[in-house]
Amino acid sequence: MSPQGPLRLGNRAFRPEDLLVMAIVNRTPDSFFQPGVTWDSSAAMDRVHAVIAEGADIIDIGGVPARPGDDVDVSEEIARVVPFVAAVRRAYPDVVISVDTWRHEVGAEACAAGADLLNDSWGGRDSKLAEVAAGHDAGLVCAHAGRQPPRTRPFRVAYADVMADVLDRTLAQARRAVDAGVDPSRILIDPAHDFGKNTWQSLEVTRRLGDMSATGWPVLVSVSRKDFVGETLGLPAAERLPGTLAAATVCAWLGARVFRVHDVAQTRQVLRMVSAIRGDRVPERTVRGLT
Amino acid sequence: MIIAASLCPWPPVLARELTGRDPVITELRKACAEATERLVGARPDLIVVVGPADETRRWDPGSRLDLSVFAPALGSGGNPALPPSLGLGALLLDQVGYRGPRILQGVSEYEGPAGCAELGAAIGGSAERVGLLVMGDGSARRSVQAPGYYDERAAAFDAETERALRHGDLGALLAISPALARELLATGRPAWQVMAGAMRPLPLAADILYSDAPFGVGYLVAFLTPQ
Repeated sequence: MSPQGPLRLGNRAFRPEDLLVMAIVNRTPDSFFQPGVTWDSSAAMDRVHAVIAEGADIIDIGGVPARPGDDVDVSEEIARVVPFVAAVRRAYPDVVISVDTWRHEVGAEACAAGADLLNDSWGGRDSKLAEVAAGHDAGLVCAHAGRQPPRTRPFRVAYADVMADVLDRTLAQARRAVDAGVDPSRILIDPAHDFGKNTWQSLEVTRRLGDMSATGWPVLVSVSRKDFVGETLGLPAAERLPGTLAAATVCAWLGARVFRVHDVAQTRQVLRMVSAIRGDRVPERTVRGLT
Repeated sequence: MIIAASLCPWPPVLARELTGRDPVITELRKACAEATERLVGARPDLIVVVGPADETRRWDPGSRLDLSVFAPALGSGGNPALPPSLGLGALLLDQVGYRGPRILQGVSEYEGPAGCAELGAAIGGSAERVGLLVMGDGSARRSVQAPGYYDERAAAFDAETERALRHGDLGALLAISPALARELLATGRPAWQVMAGAMRPLPLAADILYSDAPFGVGYLVAFLTPQ
């Protein structure tokens, strides 16, 4: 078991006990939850203001939905993402900006516009992405998507041991990123719930998340309102917040450090509570039985 | 020779444990059970389960599906390396109480129609009375919500497969293009072609017991007998 070290993102350094909220801001018309809600750039900027007020540490900007649908080519993805990254950077010089992309061309433009972190949700499909991160001293999220190409749904995916596969693939990507010159203190690993996984397999990686944090790499989880929550509870996306928070709580307890979410205020509250239970955070006000 | 063949899809959800509290696909399970019962009821000396796999080879007939490859929480107990199509076929046989000899035959998605037909002919000659349990699915691109997303060719592809089965048109099954089947994520193609090779040139009678695509994947259940 390797101890967790500091995580550097942009010009900030976070301690192992800091639990960070990454707010999702989709520059898409067709993402699965509240599709198109931040398609308009002023609506997207309003959301950035709101989530920063609610305590988001990282803004994660994405231009391509995870699910299959209309093709979004490189130039369209750049048009959706890069000017917005620049606008957020102008408005908030110190906030950590992440860009959710698997394409190095997009990553390069985004970093030039001020992005600090490349969130490679599709698990290293484009090996040049790590070189881009290295070239801009940006961070990199190394996620597990199994053998799934971008924007595909899992179809009868079987694993002899899903967590072993998650560890094999994410650690290999992290090693490649270090070899490409990415600062090791800027690399995270992510089991990527639902990506290349059925619900049972996503529950398993949640249950065994401690295996990932034991590697010493900071762990990011993205569980927000996902289908594994929906299938587990039998609920549509609009009703998945309690299940999401339960999953986030378990992940936090098992050592995850970054939580990519739609619901910032609620997640922040959950994480403060987990930190207090763990003894990392002092409660707000404690008088009961003490007066 | 082949005395009967049953055709079933092999979505993992066929295993009741994998769908959680909700049985989800009761009708499909019932149809598969009926097709398998009728196959066993034809009193074969041997049942050959044919299903898509990473490579064309036989597996230990004592092997069973390991549910943990799909649902780790359900614990292991079978052979995690066994192709799921064969594991689900073995499960169907177990569920109807079949205790006779069985062969678990995997067939690669890269096996061409001629190779599949040849394999089928060899299977047909492997005992006096051979029953075939053919595990194969139609396109997984039947709807926007489908695993492979929507492809406008998918419905016609599946309809043609159903038509060929209904009319015993084994030539049409052998004519299915592997490349098109792969594009449409129709994993059943090699297994159907093994069946066609095993049963031709006999005329067939077919009962279609189920034909639908509830999750955007074409599921077809049929019972076939030579006439």
